Amino acid sequence: MALLEVREVSKDFGGLRANDRISFQVGADEVVGLIGPNGAGKTTLFNCVAGYYPVSGGQVFFDGQDITPLKDFQVCRLGLARTFQIFQASGDLSVAENVMVGAFVRTGSRRKARAKAEEWLEFLGIADAGGLMLSELPVARQKRVALATALASDPKLLLLDEVAAGLNAAEVDGLVKLLTRIHREKGLALLLTEHVMEMVMALSHRVVVLESGRKIAEGEPAQVVKDPEVIRAYLGDHLVSGENGHA
Amino acid sequence: MEAIRNAFDFSDFPRLDMTVAGAALVFLLAFPALPHSSFAMATMIQFLMFSLYGMGWNTIGGYAGQVDLGKAQYVGIGAYTTAVMMVRWDVPFWVSMPVGMALAVGWSFIIGYPLFKLKGHYFAIATIATSLVLKDLFEVWDFVGGAKGLELPLRGNFPDFLYLQFREDYYYFYILLAMFLAGLLFINGFRHSRLGYQLRAIKDNEDVARSLGINVHWCKIKAYAVATAYVAMVGSFHACYNFNIEPEDTMSLDLSVLIAMMAMLGGAGSLWGPIIGASILVPMRSYLGSWLGGQAGLAGLDLVIYGAIIMLIAAVQPRGVWGMVEAVRGRRRGV
Repeated sequence: MALLEVREVSKDFGGLRANDRISFQVGADEVVGLIGPNGAGKTTLFNCVAGYYPVSGGQVFFDGQDITPLKDFQVCRLGLARTFQIFQASGDLSVAENVMVGAFVRTGSRRKARAKAEEWLEFLGIADAGGLMLSELPVARQKRVALATALASDPKLLLLDEVAAGLNAAEVDGLVKLLTRIHREKGLALLLTEHVMEMVMALSHRVVVLESGRKIAEGEPAQVVKDPEVIRAYLGDHLVSGENGHA
Repeated sequence: MEAIRNAFDFSDFPRLDMTVAGAALVFLLAFPALPHSSFAMATMIQFLMFSLYGMGWNTIGGYAGQVDLGKAQYVGIGAYTTAVMMVRWDVPFWVSMPVGMALAVGWSFIIGYPLFKLKGHYFAIATIATSLVLKDLFEVWDFVGGAKGLELPLRGNFPDFLYLQFREDYYYFYILLAMFLAGLLFINGFRHSRLGYQLRAIKDNEDVARSLGINVHWCKIKAYAVATAYVAMVGSFHACYNFNIEPEDTMSLDLSVLIAMMAMLGGAGSLWGPIIGASILVPMRSYLGSWLGGQAGLAGLDLVIYGAIIMLIAAVQPRGVWGMVEAVRGRRRGV
């Protein structure tokens, strides 16, 4: 039984169908990449899975439970955490205190939340930033704070929405290593949307490709990048010659 | 146990702050023994009352960042509960005060549930409206004395600790000071509690807060209830202290605005902010008000000055006096 099962999920905004009957699964020890050109509906799908948007059709199952009717805060309590493309932490709280807010999902004790926050800051290599305000950190470290905050809620599955956006090559490299460690050492399943292909390819066991709100391919990263439909989606019809056969 | 430790944990403030706070406490404890006019004593009592109002307001208005301009309705509920129970059934203050707090908190759930579906300015306007409606209802409700209000019966045996009737103001002062200290410790524990942290997360980004398992709507309602308990408690005290209450002085918009303004002037969302705000505005209001009232044609000018203060806070330092202190230190800590 998959940890996350997305079954025929659709999402309409007025007359626009942003997600059209999309199905896929994420296993308990899997890393799955969700890719597609701009406007393919990746973030919308993310928001549907995380309970941020109500779906227009279909169902989402998490850990054997139908979470379709649940709100985002309820989904989080079940162990499905997410990050946002733009992380805005509370300006009234220090870095460590922001991470504590994540830990408060599981405990009412400040002492325990503080310990949990320090543990994750340490694991993510930003223990020295605990007493600072988020705005005092460079972007790459801010992203780690966002990660720490989500991780402190003790999730089974972490949804990462474009965590590599705005990072340079070296920083992306560091992030890939970090996420690999999170997956291996902490046993978390990951579902990531990403524009930075190096990252998706390096991390994902499986890739799901969206285009114009539909799923057009799914498989191992190495296979998917050779899929003519995927190439067409990324490059456009006019660049793909007739032998690939999608006129 | 941890809640008690949290309440006494001031470790995130530098020693200087605690020294100043300690000195202020010594001054407060000694104040009745120092030479003072009865006007100064009345002003001190007002200062303590408004500090408590502000501390309460700060939970929802400061930590959670929801500008509430309708706190007076709960002052009224507290004051009227105590007054009605004392006038009609001879119930002592120490019984009617918790009843008043419970009634006010109950009412705050009813009001808060729909109110917190609104955001920003709409929320602020709605809080004003609900408060004014309640005031209008009380003005035509004969059971509570209508617009004339209620007069508390004098029991004659001073000092009466059960019914809070004293000839000398220092009794009121010390009882209120005890409430003030208890209220301060409670807020200190509150800001260290799970709810306290969650509210500060809600303030800046509700989406992120919800993604961290926080039921934003319910958290706001809970903070609103805490704020309500504070102002209702002081409202009960106000009834005994004044011997006479009417809708106009317990539930007016002026009072709601003053409560919010003191906390904002001192520093919304900080522990000391409401106290600092009250220590500036209450004496100013007392002395300016009485001085202007004595000058022909100048009465009401104090309202103009409050308006100017609000504009100044908004333009110069939205985090109030405490924000300035932090700016000077170059650090923004100890919220």
